[in-house]
Amino acid sequence: MSAVTEQSSQLKIQVKDLHKSFGSNNVLKGIDLDIREGEVVCVIGPSGSGKSTLLRCLNKLEDITSGQVIVDGFDVTDPKVDINEVRRHVGMVFQHFNLFPHMTVAENIMLAPVELKKMDKAQARTRALELLERVGLKDKANARPASLSGGQKQRVAIARALAMAPGIMLFDEATSALDPEMVGEVLQVIKELADSGMTLVLVTHEMGFAREVGDRVIFMADGVVCEQGEPEQLFGNPQQERTRDFLSKVL
Amino acid sequence: MKNKQRVARHGRLSRWVAAAAIGLMALVIGAPSAMAQGNEKVDGQTYVIGTDTTFAPFEFRQNGELTGIDMDILQKIADDQGFKVEVRSLGFNAALAALSSNQVDGVIAGMSITDERKEIYDFSEPYFESGVQMAVAKNNDDIKAYEDLNGKTVVAKTGSEGETYAKSIAKKYGFTVKSLDQSATMYESVKAGSAVAVFDDYPVLAYGIAQGNGLKTVTDKVPGGSYGFAVNKGKNTALLAAFNDGLAEMKANGEYQEILDKYLSDPSASTPGNFFDLAAKSFPALMTGLWHTLLVTAISFAIAMVLGLVFGFMKLSGNIVLRGIATTFVNIFRGTPLLLWAFMFYFGLPQLTGWEISVWTAGVLTLSLNAGAYVAEIVRGGIQSVDPGQLEASRSLGLGYGKSMQKVVVPQAFKMMTPSLINQLIISLKDSSLLLAIGFGELLYQGQQIYAANFRVTETLIIVGVIYFIAIMALTKLANYADRRFNK
Repeated sequence: MSAVTEQSSQLKIQVKDLHKSFGSNNVLKGIDLDIREGEVVCVIGPSGSGKSTLLRCLNKLEDITSGQVIVDGFDVTDPKVDINEVRRHVGMVFQHFNLFPHMTVAENIMLAPVELKKMDKAQARTRALELLERVGLKDKANARPASLSGGQKQRVAIARALAMAPGIMLFDEATSALDPEMVGEVLQVIKELADSGMTLVLVTHEMGFAREVGDRVIFMADGVVCEQGEPEQLFGNPQQERTRDFLSKVL
Repeated sequence: MKNKQRVARHGRLSRWVAAAAIGLMALVIGAPSAMAQGNEKVDGQTYVIGTDTTFAPFEFRQNGELTGIDMDILQKIADDQGFKVEVRSLGFNAALAALSSNQVDGVIAGMSITDERKEIYDFSEPYFESGVQMAVAKNNDDIKAYEDLNGKTVVAKTGSEGETYAKSIAKKYGFTVKSLDQSATMYESVKAGSAVAVFDDYPVLAYGIAQGNGLKTVTDKVPGGSYGFAVNKGKNTALLAAFNDGLAEMKANGEYQEILDKYLSDPSASTPGNFFDLAAKSFPALMTGLWHTLLVTAISFAIAMVLGLVFGFMKLSGNIVLRGIATTFVNIFRGTPLLLWAFMFYFGLPQLTGWEISVWTAGVLTLSLNAGAYVAEIVRGGIQSVDPGQLEASRSLGLGYGKSMQKVVVPQAFKMMTPSLINQLIISLKDSSLLLAIGFGELLYQGQQIYAANFRVTETLIIVGVIYFIAIMALTKLANYADRRFNK
C-alpha cells in the first residue's frame, strides 16, 4: 500500500484496464482513468454505456472482473483490503436516495459515525445538525424520510454520505429521480461541495451542470471511455463521431 | 354383571387356592425373610405407569384427579407393597407404545390379556374378568339383536375386545365395524346416528349408561378375556411380582371387592347438572390445560424464532451448503405432518437412542421445529422484501454485512414480517392441541378427560372452543398492540 501511495500522491483515483461483466454481458471493456485530488469529473453517455457500473466499481459495490482500481491509496481489487475501511473514505449518493425509512433524518446521518465508533451519540448528533445546516435542512432533523420531498431526501442523503468526512464523493444520477423543480436545490449543494475542493465523480444527465461545474467530462459508450476533456472542449468541439451523435440528441 | 362376576370368581377359584397355598407354604418355610425380600426389591422405588385417558370406570378424571378401578387397585397395591407410582394417562395405544419404548415401567389400562400381547409384554395375574356387550341409542327400538344389524355400521374401540368380537361376527350378521379411539366418541356417534350400535366392554358400557350417556344395552354379555397389568417382556420382574402379591392380598382381605362395588354396583349417583354447572366444575382442569397450551406455545415459538432466523438467513446465504441445509430443514418440517413428529419424538426417538424423553420435551421439539420451518420462510421473505438499495446504502457508508443487516435491513424486514409471525403464533397455538395424542395435558386434552368421564361431549367441546377462541382473540389483540407500539 505504501508503494502505491508514493507514486500517486496527488492522484485520488486510479483505474487500470478495468473489465466488468455480468455473466456473458461485458459491461466495461477496459477502462483507464486517473482522477486528481480536488478534481470534479462528470461522466456522461447513453444508458447502458457502463457509467453507473464504473462508479459502483470504485467502491466495490460491484465485484471487479479484472483490472485494478486504486482509491485514496487503497487497492480495492486486492482481496485482502478491508473494503469497509475504503468505503469510509468514499461517500456515495444514489439515484433513489436509499434513506433508511425506520430512522429519523438525524439518525440516518448518525448511523455510520456511531456504529463505526468514530463518535459518541452526542458528538454524532452535533455533526449531523451541522451537515443538515449545510444542506439547508436543519429543521428536518427529527422528521422521518417519508415526510420529505424528493429534493429534501437527496440533500439528506448527501449529508449522510458526508458524515464520515470522506475525501471522495460519488454521485450516481443523483438528480434523475427528482421532479424538475427540485433538481436545482440538489445541484446547488453539489456545486458547493465542488467549490470546497472535494474530489467528486458524478454520473449525470445534466449537461449544463457538467459544463458549469466539471473540471473534466468523460463520455462513455459501449463500455469504454470514448472521449474525455475539459467541458468547453468536449461540449464545444467534440472529436469523436459517437460523441457528436450523443450530444446532438441531448443538447 | 353380577352373574358375570360370579362366573369369573368361580373360574379362578382353583388358581386362587393354589396361590394361597403357595403363600402359606412360603410363610411356613422361609417365612419372614422371604416375604421381606420380595418387597425389598420394590420398596421405596417409584414406577412410571402408563394408562388410558378415557376408559371409565377403569380410569377417568373426576375434578382433575385420575380415578377408577385401575387407579384404586394400583394405588392400593403400591401402598401395600411399599412402592410409589407416577401415573401417566397417555391414551391406550400411546401407553402401549410408551411401554414398548421403555418410557413407562408398566401399563394398567383395562387391557385384555391376549396371546399376541403376551408375546411382547409380561402380564400379571388377571385382576378383572371382562366381557363384551352391545348397546344402541335409548330411543332406538329397531335393533334388538345381532340379526337386526344387517347392512348397518357399528362402532368399537380400536384394539379392544369389543372390536375383536364385533369383527368376528360382522360377516355372519352382515354389518360393518368402524373403529374409534375413545368410548365417549363411540357413544356420540351412536347417538348422532352415524353408527347404529356400539360394542364395548360391559363395565364401561354399564358405567356410561349410569352416567346418562343416552344408550341402552340390548344383548347379553359375551364372556371375554381377563384384564391384566403389563410390563415390557423380561423387564421389571420385581414390579410384576409385587403387583401379583398385592393383588392376592387385596382379594383375600376384601378390599378388591370393595373397589369393584364402588364403581360397578353403585355407579355414581350424581345427577347431571346444567351447562353452567358443567362449566364451573370443569373450569379448574380446563384452566390448567389452557396454561399448558399457552406455555408450550410460548416456549416453542421462542425457539422457533431462533431457528427461523438462523435458517432464514442460511436460505439467503451465498454458500450453497448452508442454503442446502436450510432448504432441507424447511422442506422436511413443512412437508410432513406435525402429528407424525410428535409420535416420532415421543415414541420413536427413545427407542432409537435410549434417551428418556418427557412429553414436554417431545411437545416442544415438535411444535418448535414445525413453526421454525415456517418462520424461516417468513424471515427469508421479509428480508428479500427489503429494497436491495437499503443494504447498498449501508454498505457504502462502510458498515459491514452483519451490522448493515442488524441496523438497517432486519428492522425493516421485521416490520413486514410481523403480521405473518402473529399468524404463525396463532397457528402454533392451535396446533398444540395435536399434542393430546401423546398425552400432553393441554386444553383439548383436558376437555377429553372431562367428557370421557361424564359423556357430555358436545357441551364440553363448546366450552373448550370458547376458551380457545377467547385466548386467541386476546393474543391477537396483544400482538397487534405490540406491533403498533414497536413498529411505528
